[in-house]
Order: sequence, then structure tokens, then C-alpha cells
Amino acid sequence: MKNVNEKLDATAAAMKKLLPAQDILQFSFSDGTGRQYVCFFADAITDKDLLGEQVFRPLMEYRGEARAKEIAAHVTAPEVRTERALGKLAAEVLAGNPVLLWDGMDEGLIAGTKKVPARAVSEPPTDVAIKGPREGFVEDVKLNTALVRKRLKTGELKIEFLTVGRRSQTAVAVCWLEGTSVQSAVDGVKEKLSAIDIDNVPDSSYLARFLSDRPYSLVKQVGTTEKPDIFCAKIAEGRVGVIADGSPIALTLPYMLVEDFQSSEDYFVPAARATFTRFLRLFALLVAIYLPAFYIASQLFKLQLLPVKLLLTIAGSIQDIPLSPSLEMLLVLLVLEVLNEASIRMPKYVGMALSVVGALVLGETAVSAGFVSTPAIIIVAFSGIGLYAVPNLIEETSVLRLAMLLVAGSVGTYGILLLSGFVLIYLVSTENYGVPLAAPFAPLTRRDLRDALLKYNLASLKTRPAALGSPNRRRQK
Amino acid sequence: MKLSARQICFFLAAVAPAGKLVLMPSQLVAQTANDLLLPVALQILAQSALVFAVLLLARNGRTVYGMLSDMVGGFFAKAACVLFAAFLLFAAFVPLVEQKILVQSIFYDTLPSYVAFAPFFLFAAYLCAKPLASLGRVWDMLAPLFLVGILGVLLLSVGNADFGALLPVGAAGAGGFGRGVAYTAGWFFDAALLLPLVGKFPYRKGLAWKGALCYLGGGILLLFFLAVYYGIFAEIAVTQLFAFAHMSKYFSGITAMGRIDYLFIFAIAFVMAFYTAMPVQAAVDALTDAFGHRRVLAPTLSTAFNAALLALMLAFNFVPSATVSAITQRAFWIFPVFAAGAPLLLLALSPVLNKRRERHAR
Repeated sequence: MKNVNEKLDATAAAMKKLLPAQDILQFSFSDGTGRQYVCFFADAITDKDLLGEQVFRPLMEYRGEARAKEIAAHVTAPEVRTERALGKLAAEVLAGNPVLLWDGMDEGLIAGTKKVPARAVSEPPTDVAIKGPREGFVEDVKLNTALVRKRLKTGELKIEFLTVGRRSQTAVAVCWLEGTSVQSAVDGVKEKLSAIDIDNVPDSSYLARFLSDRPYSLVKQVGTTEKPDIFCAKIAEGRVGVIADGSPIALTLPYMLVEDFQSSEDYFVPAARATFTRFLRLFALLVAIYLPAFYIASQLFKLQLLPVKLLLTIAGSIQDIPLSPSLEMLLVLLVLEVLNEASIRMPKYVGMALSVVGALVLGETAVSAGFVSTPAIIIVAFSGIGLYAVPNLIEETSVLRLAMLLVAGSVGTYGILLLSGFVLIYLVSTENYGVPLAAPFAPLTRRDLRDALLKYNLASLKTRPAALGSPNRRRQK
Repeated sequence: MKLSARQICFFLAAVAPAGKLVLMPSQLVAQTANDLLLPVALQILAQSALVFAVLLLARNGRTVYGMLSDMVGGFFAKAACVLFAAFLLFAAFVPLVEQKILVQSIFYDTLPSYVAFAPFFLFAAYLCAKPLASLGRVWDMLAPLFLVGILGVLLLSVGNADFGALLPVGAAGAGGFGRGVAYTAGWFFDAALLLPLVGKFPYRKGLAWKGALCYLGGGILLLFFLAVYYGIFAEIAVTQLFAFAHMSKYFSGITAMGRIDYLFIFAIAFVMAFYTAMPVQAAVDALTDAFGHRRVLAPTLSTAFNAALLALMLAFNFVPSATVSAITQRAFWIFPVFAAGAPLLLLALSPVLNKRRERHAR
């Protein structure tokens, strides 16, 4: 049986066959005329109070016809619709929306009384702002779209829901501004999402892989944010947003590398300060990637890179180290990565102990034992701190740092130069939805430089980024 | 269009001069002593005029191969492209040797293995296989980087330059001047590098002038560099093979802060690495225009050419200076034949082409 049958028993039996799980409950009752009803709902994700108040109570007093339209008008739940296909009705039950079946009708009624357990809206830990909004996305797609709708109160904001994941049936919201977002990007995103054939989508990062033009790329291809204000700002610039149920991280496309050097706070502080911090982030990132590599290259191949006094200090501290400079640096970097990994996943009360172990035991003792030199630890610490100046690029930069280190240890400064060349060519060649990753620097878009590393005053940012190709260029008069 | 007019201008103004800073200054001083500016000025003027001519060719939006096949038919056009690609590969040799000597001298204090330079060919193969759009975007990034690098070096060095060393003008005589012009021909073939790009960027009104002026601007920067170089080293300039990497180290702040000038030197060397790969890139472009199938042919040719050049570099490993001298002092005449002859011939024949096209259109 594929569709709802007029015989309630047969339909209910078919539904039960589709939903054999123990947490799917079945409730039977009759209305004022004695007509039998059966309601299917998922135990933990349905608001039972609301279901009783808005569906069961009005129907128990109902004395009218068995037609779906009249019954739908009689229940007081605001979100009601009908469906014939049993498969779709079962999917609704699994999503938390109760399904009502009754005798003498070949349609089922879906009542939107879903109540998914959700975390309260709070400040995201990865995107803390001193000035500006502090709200962050949560794991509930409906709540997240509400946070977006709250900020963009326009009919032009389109939100289309798709279902992704064969078994997870994850609701994915595609958000865009009609007339501002590039239609080809909107269509491309929807097409790619519809083409995904995967069992389970636990997080939006799964979708990011499928939405990328280069899914195997080392460099991220999709923008991410946990903050609705940033998400809305990006949509308003002409991008397409994707929110997946179960993930507090929303995706934005097309992505440009420069986005990760901009923070939401840049728009709430004076332009000069924002420009300074953006350059600071770039500097920190370059230091994070290149400092360990140049330190190694200078020791092994090019001593002139260091001032003489510094060179003598370093020479003094490394003379008894048993490891080669590159191996030493690799070891210290590895320890840093392990500490980093462990500190994220360890319970908070163990974290303090871990810091002591990391800083004192591994740092101090390793130096006094002569395993590693003090400059190596300073360099790695500096690099580690620099990496977190641009938190959204940590995965890419830590790999790049390691690659630079290996090349510096084997080929020296020339290797660093060539690898940088490779990275540059790769970055400028990469495009996503027709938008170059390295824009607005390559290809150079002069007008977009006003909000790239430089940050002009808000009054000067009259147009949307040209690189995105929005059909509605002007954003303020 | 794969490239933009701006990217062409950026290449001419701030990427092309990067290829003339390594061995050319000292070779020039060997012939002309303090008169080194005059031959280079003449070369820059000539190249600016040739750039103007090449950019004029771009007006009809056709590639050079397209133009040639209209004029002389597909077979001869293909033969001409192969010949031109052979010239470009020949021209690639000087920048490659320069790059190799430079790498071994400024990137290592220790004695590097003679294959330390080999990874360059991997980089070049990757670059040459990329579409032209990527190359244009690379120029967008390299142009400001080169300007920062060269201006940084000049700023740190200019205080130590005695421009009086450039006087009296004309001491080298006509012979010295002539040799200076002839022996620097091997470094001035930028107009030829542009030829395979014709038809791949939109021609806007005045682009030929803009391109020529950009090249002239880059040339003026090069002349200033040469003046500072000779002003610092004077009589011993002839022995300073990689002047741009040495001239800023006499800046007084270096003692206290270390070689901060390396930041600028590395910036220039970075741009130079891209410029060094440019002739091979142009050769690949010329051949893919002629034979099509760019998707397959470009990576294949790029790999093959770079592998062949690596083998040649290893073969000539112990005689790099002699190789450069042979090319620039004996075979110098090849450069003007192709770099000047090809664009001028095409420009002269373009009215014939236009007439033929009009006839076909009718």
C-alpha cells in the first residue's frame, strides 16, 4: 500500500509497518459522531501538550463531515496540511510532526506540533565579539531560519527547505535574497544539494564538501559562520546561505579567501582600527606559516637571515641538542598539535592540569633536559598563537605550515619560495560558482579593495562586492 | 577573454623588469662601464615600440595563429608557431641559467647540491600547464609585490650611491655602446612574450599606448636601478653578479636589525621565478594555439619542455657563465630577428589580412 486508504485499519496497519520503532506512538480516539481517528507521533520530538490542545480536544467535539478540508479547519494548530502518500506521512512523523488518519478519508492530516530538543541561543565560542551582536546559531534549523528572518525582514529573503540524507532526512534551508543573489549560484547550490546521496548528514561540514567545485581541495571552498548577523550580511552582499538541521555552523557561497580576514567586529569599530586588525591578522597568519620554516632554513642553509647577536644566542642554545633543527622543530610542532587536540577534547577540569603538563613538564623540562632548544619552543609558540588569529583557516594553515617546514628542512629558503609560488598559483586558479577564491586581489577588482584588507568607512561602501556579480550592485545611496 | 588589459599592463610595468636584474647589469658594465644606461634606454625604447606594435595587432581580436592561417594557410601557420616556440625555448635558457646561479648564490650560505635548483622545473611545469586566466591573476599579485621589493631595495641602497660615478657620459664610445646594445638583446624580448597572448585579451581604445607607456615606466625603474647599482659599486660593478641582492646590505640599519632587506630581495626573487617560466609558458601557448587540444597538450608540452630544459641545465651545469655569454654575445642576433621581426612582419601584413577578410565577408 502506497497511499492512504479509506479503511482506517488497513492504513494504520500499513503506517505501523513503516514505523515499527518503539518511540513511534499510536493514539486512537473518536469524535462526536463516533468516527475513529488514529494519530501517529514520535514520542520525544512532538509537543504532546500542543497536540492535545490543538488537535485532539477540538476533534473530540467535532460533529461534521469526514472531509479533510473541514477537519483541517477545525483543528486549531496553525501549521496543518494534508498528504496522501504513506511514505511522506511516515517521514513527517519521524520529523516530529504528528499524522492523523481517520475513517472514510483517503488523506492524512499533518499537524506542525514538532518540539525538537534544542539548545538556547547563545554566543558562539568560536566567534566571540566585544562589540556587536552576540547571538549564535543553534542546532535547530527552524530556530536558525527564525534568527535570519528576524534580521532580514523582507519578502525578497527566500528560504527553501530541502531534505538531504537517505536515513537522516536532514532538513537543509537554502537562503538567498531574490534579485540580489546571483541566480546561477542559487540554482547551483540547490542542484548540488539535491544530487547528494548519502546516508547521514550529521553536520553542515558534510554538505560543504558536496557544495565545493573542488571537493578534494586543501583550501576551504565554502564560507562558514556561527553568527546570524554575519550570515545575513553575507546574504545581503549577494551570497547564498545554507543552514543544516543539527548544525550550528551555517555555510555561505560563493566563498572568497579574504572573508576570513574580516570579522563582524570590523564593521562596528572605526575603519582605521578595522584596517589595522585585518593587516594584523594577515601578518599573524604569515608568521604562523613561515616563521618555523624560515627559522629552520636560516639555521641549515642561510645564516645571514639572522642578526649576528641572535645567531650567536641561537648557536649557544642549540649546540647540545641531539636532534637536527628540522627534526627538533617538527617534534615541537607535533607536541603543540597534540596538546591542542587534547585540550579541546579534555574535560575542563583536566584542562588546567594539561596546561601545567604542557607548559612546565614538556616545555621547561624538555629544554633543561636538552631535548629541544628554547628558541624552537618560542618560535612554535609564536606560530601557534598566530594561527589562531584567523580561526577559520586553522586546518589549511597548519597543513601549510608543516609543508613549509618540510620543504625548508630539505631545500631551504628557495623551497619556501617555490612552495609559496605553488600555493599562489593554486589559489588564483581556484573558483567557486564562478567567483575567484583570491578575489578581489586576483583578479584585481579595485572597488572591492575598499572592504578587503583595507576597510573603508561604511558610508563609502556603496556597492556590493563586484566579484560576486550580484545583479543588484548598489547597497546604499 | 582569458586576460584583461590591466593584467597585460601589470606584466609590462612590474613583472618584465624583474628578469633584467641578475646578470645583465654586470655584463653591461663589462662592455660600457659607466655608460650602461644608454644601451638599456635604447633597448627599452625599442621594446616599448614593439609592445605598441604587438598590442596594435590585438585590435582585431584574432590570435597570431589565426592571423597567420588566414594569410598563409594552416600548414605554414603551424610551422611558424613551432619555429616561434623553438625561439622562446631558446630564449628561456638565459633566464634559467640566471635563476640557477642566483639561487645557488643568494639562497644558500652553504654549498648547495647542484640539483637544488631542480624543483624550479616542477613549479614551472605546474605554472605553464595552468590556463591563461591564472597567469593573468598571478600578474595581478606579482606586480605590487615586485614594486614593493624593488622600491624597498632602492630605498635602502640609494643613500650609498654616488651618481657622479656615471659621468662622463659617452666614455665607452660608439663601439662600447654598440656592444652594450647587442649584448643586452638576450634580455629584451618581452614583446615576443606577448605575441602568443594576442587575441586573448580585449583591446580597448588606447591600450597600445598604455601598454607601451607601462613598459616605459618599468624601464625607467630599471634605469634607476642600474644608476644606483653603478653609483654604489662603480669600478667593481663588473664583478657584482647579483647586485640587487647585495646593494642594500650597506644600509646602516642592517647591522642592528639583521638582513631585513632579504624581505625585499625574496619578493623580487619570487617575481623573478614566475618571469623565468614565462618563455616556456609562451611557447606552450603558441603551440596549443596552433594544434588545439589545450587541455591535454598544455600539461604534456609543459612537462616535456621543462624536463628537457632541466636535462639541458644539468648538462651545462659546470659552465653556466659561458652558456650565458655564448647566447648573449654570439647568438644575440637571434633575439631581434624573432622579438622584433615577428611582430613587425605581422603588423606589416595585417592590411593584407584585413583585405582578405573583407573579401571573404563579401
